[in-house]
Amino acid sequence: MATQAIRPVRKLDERHLARQRWARAGWVYGAMLALAVFFIGPFYVAFLGSLKDNPLEWPFRYSFAQTQPKNWAAAWRLGQLGAGNPWTGGFAPGAEIPFQISYFLEEGQEPEPPTVTVPTRRAGAGLGAIFDEVQAAQYAQVSEVQEVNRRPAVVGGRPGQIVTYAFTIRYPKGDATANQPTVPRLPLDVEAPRGQQYYAATLDPNRLERRGRVASWDSVTPGFFGYVFRNYVRVFNEARDPNTGASFFLRWTANSFFVSLAVVLTTLLFASLGGYALARMYLPGKNYLFAFIVFSMTVPSQATFISNYLVLRDLGLLGSLWGMIVWSAVGAGAVFIMKQFFESIPREIEEAALMDGATPVTTFFRIILPMAAPALGALTILTFQGMWNEFFKAAVVLSGQQASYTLPLGLSFFRSAYGVAGDWGLMLASAFLSMIPIIILFVVFQRYFVEGVSTSALKG
Amino acid sequence: MKKILATLALAVLGLASAQTVVKLQGFGGNDTAIISSLVREIVNPALEKEGIRAEYQGIEGDYRAALLNALSAGTAADLFYVDIFWSEPLFASGRVEPLNKYFTPQELAVFNRNLLNAFTLRGNVYGLPKDFNTLAVQFNKDLFDEAKVPYPNQTDTWETFKDKLKRVQAALKDVAGLCVVADHARFGAFAYATGWRPFNAQGRTVLDANFRRAFEWYTSLVKDGAGKYAQDLGEGWTGGCFGAEKAAVAIEGAWIGGFLRDKAPNMRYGTTLIPLDPVTKQRGNFIFTVSWSMNAASKNKEAAAKVLRALTSPEAQNWILSRGLALPSRSALANSPIFQRPGKENELNRVVFQGSTGVGGAVLPFKFGALDGGNWMRPINEALQAVITGKKSVDQAIADAQAELNRIVR
Amino acid sequence: MLRSQRTEALYALLFLAPFLIHLGIFFVFAFVRTVGFSFTDATLIGQSSRFVGFSNFVELFREPRFLAALTHSISFMLVVTTLQTFLALALAAVLNQRLRGITFFRTVYYIPSVLSSAAVTVIAIWFFQKTGFLNTFIGYIGSVAPVLLAFGGLFALAQAVQVGWERWRGVPVPWLDPALATISLVVALALTWGLVGLGVVRPLEARPPEFTWLTNPDRFLGIPIPLWSIVILNTFTTIPTLMLIFLAGLQDIPKSLYEAASIDGATPLQQFFSVTVPMLRPVTFLVITLSLIGTLQMFDQVALMGDAAPLDSIIVLAYYVYNNVFSGEGQVGLASAAALILAGLTFAIVLLQRALGVSEKAH
Repeated sequence: MATQAIRPVRKLDERHLARQRWARAGWVYGAMLALAVFFIGPFYVAFLGSLKDNPLEWPFRYSFAQTQPKNWAAAWRLGQLGAGNPWTGGFAPGAEIPFQISYFLEEGQEPEPPTVTVPTRRAGAGLGAIFDEVQAAQYAQVSEVQEVNRRPAVVGGRPGQIVTYAFTIRYPKGDATANQPTVPRLPLDVEAPRGQQYYAATLDPNRLERRGRVASWDSVTPGFFGYVFRNYVRVFNEARDPNTGASFFLRWTANSFFVSLAVVLTTLLFASLGGYALARMYLPGKNYLFAFIVFSMTVPSQATFISNYLVLRDLGLLGSLWGMIVWSAVGAGAVFIMKQFFESIPREIEEAALMDGATPVTTFFRIILPMAAPALGALTILTFQGMWNEFFKAAVVLSGQQASYTLPLGLSFFRSAYGVAGDWGLMLASAFLSMIPIIILFVVFQRYFVEGVSTSALKG
Repeated sequence: MKKILATLALAVLGLASAQTVVKLQGFGGNDTAIISSLVREIVNPALEKEGIRAEYQGIEGDYRAALLNALSAGTAADLFYVDIFWSEPLFASGRVEPLNKYFTPQELAVFNRNLLNAFTLRGNVYGLPKDFNTLAVQFNKDLFDEAKVPYPNQTDTWETFKDKLKRVQAALKDVAGLCVVADHARFGAFAYATGWRPFNAQGRTVLDANFRRAFEWYTSLVKDGAGKYAQDLGEGWTGGCFGAEKAAVAIEGAWIGGFLRDKAPNMRYGTTLIPLDPVTKQRGNFIFTVSWSMNAASKNKEAAAKVLRALTSPEAQNWILSRGLALPSRSALANSPIFQRPGKENELNRVVFQGSTGVGGAVLPFKFGALDGGNWMRPINEALQAVITGKKSVDQAIADAQAELNRIVR
Repeated sequence: MLRSQRTEALYALLFLAPFLIHLGIFFVFAFVRTVGFSFTDATLIGQSSRFVGFSNFVELFREPRFLAALTHSISFMLVVTTLQTFLALALAAVLNQRLRGITFFRTVYYIPSVLSSAAVTVIAIWFFQKTGFLNTFIGYIGSVAPVLLAFGGLFALAQAVQVGWERWRGVPVPWLDPALATISLVVALALTWGLVGLGVVRPLEARPPEFTWLTNPDRFLGIPIPLWSIVILNTFTTIPTLMLIFLAGLQDIPKSLYEAASIDGATPLQQFFSVTVPMLRPVTFLVITLSLIGTLQMFDQVALMGDAAPLDSIIVLAYYVYNNVFSGEGQVGLASAAALILAGLTFAIVLLQRALGVSEKAH
C-alpha cells in the first residue's frame, strides 16, 4: 500500500508532500509492527499455553490462573508458609496453612460444607512415575471445615449466595527424633455436594474435576515458580535418569553444548585450513576439487547416512556424542565460506610474510588466521546454531541412549513420552527452555547471524 | 590405613570379578518404574549369591526402531521386550535366542497357553510373556448417575450397550457416549465376537457377512448418537476423551489406569467386560502382550536365563500384581485374592484379566501372521474412518478394503 | 614443476588433509556404498546380502508408500518454494527502507529461523491441535467478520469521499494517499466502534472448532491436509532467511537506476518491474534453488510429528529412507535405492538451475 502511494506528484505543494511522507512512514511502521506480531505472536501464545494447566483448553484464554497477580502473591505466601520457600514451596514440619474456598449456591439451596482431603498423588504416566515421591498425605492433618461467611450474590444472571469455608492444613512437628521429611508438594482435593458451584479460593485450583464438583490442586504450597512456572519446574523434576536420579534436561543441555562447541572448534580449524589452501595455494586440479566440493553440498545427507551409520557402528561410536562430533567435524559449506573469505583479502600481506622465509604453516597461524576473525566469528555462530539444532544426525547416532541425547532429540523424546497423555504443558515448557541459549546467542550476536546468512548465500 | 585400603581394594576387585551384569531393555514410561523396582526388590536379591545383577533401561519413543538399531549395532541388552505385534520378522531373523535350551517343558507349561503360543515360531519358544492386557469397558459413574442411566454391565449386548450410550449422550448434551476411533485395535474385538477371523483356512483375509455385521454396528455408533468420532473431539484414543470427561465410556486395557491417575485422579469410574454380540451371545477380545526375549549375541546367556526365570517367577508376578502394576502371565495367578480387593484400579485389572479367560469369549493375540500388523490393519482402519466420517457407504468401504487386503495378503 | 610449487602443493594437501579425509569417508565412500547397497537386498539385522540388480528400484515404484512419499516431496517442494519466494520478496521490499529502527524489526523477523526445528515443531503441533490456537484464531476471525467487513467498507468509503473531494478541488492526490488514509482509518475506527456500540453490527457467536489439521484424511489441491500443516510451518520458519538474502540483493541495486527511472516518469510499480525484478534475477535464482533443495530434503518436521499425524499423509522421501532403515528388518537395500532417487532429483534441480542460469547471463 505504502509503496504504491509514492507517485510523482508534482502539483502537490510542499505541505502536502511533507504530510504524505509522515503518514507514509506511519503506515510502514504499522505494517512492520503487524509483521512482527505475525512472526512473534505464535511464540507468545505458545508461551502462554506453556504456563497453563491445560494448554489445549477451549476456548483459549489469554488471562488465566497463572497470569493473575492475585495467585502470584498467594503462591508466594503459601510457599513461604509451607516450607519457608516462596519460590518453589514445599511442606515442612511445623507448617500451618490456612485456606479458604467459596461456593456459589442458587437460591433455595442449602449450603453444605465440602469434604477436604490431602490425597496420595503419584504420577501415573511419563517419567514422573518412576520415582516414589514422599507423600504429604502421610503427614498432613486437615482441620474441621468451618463456614466463615455468607453473602447474597448474582452469578451468571442467577440470584443466590456465596458461601465461604475455611480450614487449616497442619504438619505437626514431632519430637526431635521423629523422621519428618520436607515434602515437595501438598496436593489437595475439595469435593462439594452437587449443585454447589466453585467460586473462588485462596489459590485458584489447577483443575476442576468430575464436572466441577472437585477442585483439585497439585500443591497448595507451590511457591511462585511452583505455581506460575509449574510445567517448567516439572521438566527438571520429572525427567530424571532412573538409575542416577540426575536431571535429563540438564544433561541434554550439557550434551548439546559439548557437541556444538567441539564441532565449532574442529570446523574453525579444518575449514580455515582447507579454505585457505583452496583460495591461495598452488595445487594441481584445484578447480576440479572445488567443483566437487560444491557438488557434495547438494547431495542430501539421507543419501549417505546409511554408510556413515555403519562406519560409526564399526568405530563403536554409536550412542556416543563423539559419533556426532566425528560425523560433523567439518562441512563442505564451512570450507566454502572460508575460501570465499580468503579470496577477498589482499594478497600482499602474506606474500611479505612468505618473503621473510616463514613456512606456510607459521604464516597461516600467525598472520592469516588473526585476519580472518570476522569470518571466523560468522562461521562460529552458523556452526553453533546448526549443531545446536541438528536433529537428523542425532536421531541416527544417539537413538535409544537417553543419557547421550542432545536437546532436539530430547524434545522428540518428551513428545513421545508425554504426547499420548496429551501433557502439552510439559512439552511446550521443554521447547521454550531449549530455546533459551540460542535466543541469548542471537540477541548478542544478531549482526553475525544476519550478515552470515546474506554473505554466505550471495557469494554462492 | 593401609589395611583399610587393602580390604577396600579386595572388596572392589571381588565385586568386579564376581558380578555378572545382565542388561535389560524395554519400554519407557511406567515400565521403567515397574521393572526397575522389580529388579531392585525381587530379582537382584534372589540372584545376589550367584553374583548376577540385572539393570533395566527403558526406551522412550519408538522402541521398535531403537531395538533394531541396537541389535544391528551390537549394543542391544541381554534381555529385551518384543511386542507380539511385530515379533515374527524379528524371531525369524536369527537375532533372538530360542529359549527351549534353557527352560524345561514343565517350566514353560505354567504360562498362559495363549500367551506362550503367541511367542512360538516353528516349535521354538522365542520369548516368555512378561504380562498382558485385554480390552474392557470403563465407564464414568458420575456421568451415568447424572444422566440417570444404569451403568454398563457384563450382560449388556451391543444393542443394550448402544442404547445406554445414546441415553447418556442425549441427556448430557456436551458429553459423548463413546469416543469412536477408526482403529482395528478396538473394532476387531467386536468383529471377533461374530466368529470372523483375520485369516481364513486358506490364509486369506475375507471380509464376510459376520465382519460386515460388526462393521455396521461399530460405524453406526456415531450416526445414531451413541458416540462421537474421536478426532472431532480433538482426541486420538478413547481414553483421552474419557479422561477429559468428553465421553462417558472408554474401551481400553489396564494401561488407562496410569493415565487417569494423572489426568483425572478423582474420577469415579468402573470397569466391565466388552458387550456381547446379540446374535452369537459371544464376546471378542485382543490379547496385547510383550515378551522377554534373549539376545542371540549375548555374552551371558546362562546368567540371562537365570534373570529371565527370576523376572517371571511367581514371586515377581505376585509383587507386580499386588501393586496393581501389570497383569501376570502365569495361569495359576488367575485366582489370586489380590484381584478381589476393592478400588477402581483393582477392578480395572480384574476385568482386564478376566478378558483373557473363558468369559472373554473369542480372544486372539494382537498379531497378524507374518505381516507387519500396521500394514495389515491399514485398509480396515481406512474403511472405518471413511464410513464414520460419511465419506463412503458401508458397501463401498468394505469392497475397497477387501481389494486392498487382497493385494497385501498374498 | 618448480620445486617451490611442489612444496606449496604439498602444504596445500597438508592443509586440506583433515577435510579431504572427512569428505572421503563420510561423503565419497558413503555415496559409493549407498549405490552398492541399492543393488542388493541388504538388511540392517540380516548378516548376508546378495545382488538383486534393479529389483529394488522396480519394487519402489510398486510400493504405495514410496509413491506417496515421492508425490508428497515433489508437491511440497513446489508449493513451499512458490509461497516462500513470493512472500520473502514482498517482505524484503517492505523492509528495504531507510527508517529508524529497521534493524530491530529485521532482527525480530529472523527469530523463527534461528530456533531449532525440534522446538518449533513441538510448538507447531500444539498450534495445529483441534482445540489449538490456530483454530481458535480462525474461529475468532470468523466471528468478528461482520465487524471487520464493516470497518473495511467504512474505510474505503471515507477514503473515496476524501480523494473525490480533493480531486474535485483540483489537487491530484493518489487513491491511496497515506495522509488521507490515516484520516480514513481514524474515521472508520470511530464509526465501527459506534456501530458495534449501538448493536447495529455485532460479532457472531464463537463456535468450537470444526477443522482438524493433523489427523484429517482429506486433501486440498491433491495434498493431504496434515502435509499442508507442515507446508505452513516450513514456510513460516524459512521466509526470514530468504528475505534476508533478497534484502542483501535489493541493497546491491544502485540507487541511480531508480533515480533514472524516476526521471523518465516511471511509477513505483513500473520501477519495481523495470528495475528491481531484472536486477534481482540472479538473487531470485539463488533463492529458488536453495528453497527447492531445502524443501526436497525436509526431514525434521515429519520425524518430529511422529504419531501426531498419520505417517502416510505426511511421509516424504527423506523420511521414507530413514524409516525403511530403522523399522521392520531395516531394509537397507530398498532405502538406498530411494535415497539415490532423492539424490537424483536434487541433482536434476541443480542442473536445471545451472542451465537456466547460464542462459540468463547471456541476455
